[in-house]
Amino acid sequence: MSGIFEYNGGSIVGMKGKNCIAMACDRRFGQQMSTITTNYQKVFKIQDNILLALSGLNSDIHTFYALMEKEINLYNLKENRKMKPTTFANLVASALYERRFGPFFVTPIVAGLENGKPILATYDSIGCKSDLDDFQVGGTGGNYIYGACEAFFKPDLSPEELEEVIGQSLVSGCDRDSLSGWGGVVYVLTEQKLTVKILKTKQT
Amino acid sequence: MIDFDPSTFGLAHTYQKEDKDEINTLALPSAPQVIYKTLNGPTQINGGNKLTNFKHGTTTLGFVFKEGILLAVDSRASMGSFLSSEQVRKVIEINEYLLGTMAGGAADCQYWLAYLANHCRTYELKNGSKLSVAAASKFLQGILIGYRNSGLSMGCMIAGTDTTGQHLYYIDNDGMRLKGDIFSVGSGSTYAYGVLDNHYRYDLSLNEAVELGIRAIYHATHRDTASGGVVRVYHIHKDGWTKVHDGIDVVDLHYQFAKQKGLVGDGDEAKQRLF
Repeated sequence: MSGIFEYNGGSIVGMKGKNCIAMACDRRFGQQMSTITTNYQKVFKIQDNILLALSGLNSDIHTFYALMEKEINLYNLKENRKMKPTTFANLVASALYERRFGPFFVTPIVAGLENGKPILATYDSIGCKSDLDDFQVGGTGGNYIYGACEAFFKPDLSPEELEEVIGQSLVSGCDRDSLSGWGGVVYVLTEQKLTVKILKTKQT
Repeated sequence: MIDFDPSTFGLAHTYQKEDKDEINTLALPSAPQVIYKTLNGPTQINGGNKLTNFKHGTTTLGFVFKEGILLAVDSRASMGSFLSSEQVRKVIEINEYLLGTMAGGAADCQYWLAYLANHCRTYELKNGSKLSVAAASKFLQGILIGYRNSGLSMGCMIAGTDTTGQHLYYIDNDGMRLKGDIFSVGSGSTYAYGVLDNHYRYDLSLNEAVELGIRAIYHATHRDTASGGVVRVYHIHKDGWTKVHDGIDVVDLHYQFAKQKGLVGDGDEAKQRLF
């Protein structure tokens, strides 16, 4: 359990559906083997059609989110328009690379809807963008969630089905990781609305 | 006649000698280079790297009260942050009047407590009376002192009943042996002590004691990542031991206790921002 990415623990997952995207995260904030709170926010709404999920060192999760909030607010003020999800995805990559030799210890996932089309991008901590996958994971429980995703995922799921699939994948994955869990939150973004559901999970 | 050879006290290599009187059915490891797998963590030789050596990643507790002794344990085994099992049995039934709890190296605890069981039975047959809890725990201490610094990892409690009453001992791999009324061992012990110390009284009834043990283990499993799974509870009384609970899921306990306090139970009473 040594390592700066394992210090706080936590897991995130993003999935594409039919004209919708879903994001899920656990709620634990811990310090190595000790759990401090069970309501830490890891998914942030950057814009009505863009969600940013962050896992890694909690201090950097908060700092990087604040940096992205600032960037998008300035963009809105300067350009007087909303930012496209693909543009934001690129912005995250360059913001991370800007700190190439003193990086943010986070692994972000960006999810958004551009003209109804789902966009999902994931990065390593220095900004290598990967946007061709249907689902992506991050955090200490990531590898265990991958297994569940591969089993449950199907392309072009409806928002309700997607919510179910991503919720189950997160819970199954976090159940095998001692550093993630203590609650879960699922976000489903469609053209019309953003639904947020809190999952009842293991509290141990 | 007490069969006790002073030369067997303390030195590991003496256990390799063939004892003419005893039929030794258990093979003995040759100390001290021992490679072992801990309950938590990768295989290590002689202690391993301190930074990744999570000995005793568990919560076990025991306390003495007027009805005897109560033992409560969790059931989680983890390898680093990976949960390998949520159904481990951390109370080892040595014989009908002695119980041992497991913390640290699973193999170490299982093997040496089985060795202790062998010794107790042999003693009983040769001497016509059962080995006392004090003597059994001291025998184990002797073995562990002999293997000191060789990398064994054990933090166990020996609890049992004999002609003088019910007794609780704490034994660990450094050769420590302590008699006491309240013990909690493992990474979650600090959380369990908090609950135990607050509500412990000698004159608890059996039901109250079981409740207390369950509650203490639950609180430890909630805060400590290396503890979880189910709670197992044993009661030791003058006629031996009884398994009170074989496995109560701590997740159910969480929502049960939350409901008792009138809370929703999602852990977010402060209603943190969601997006």
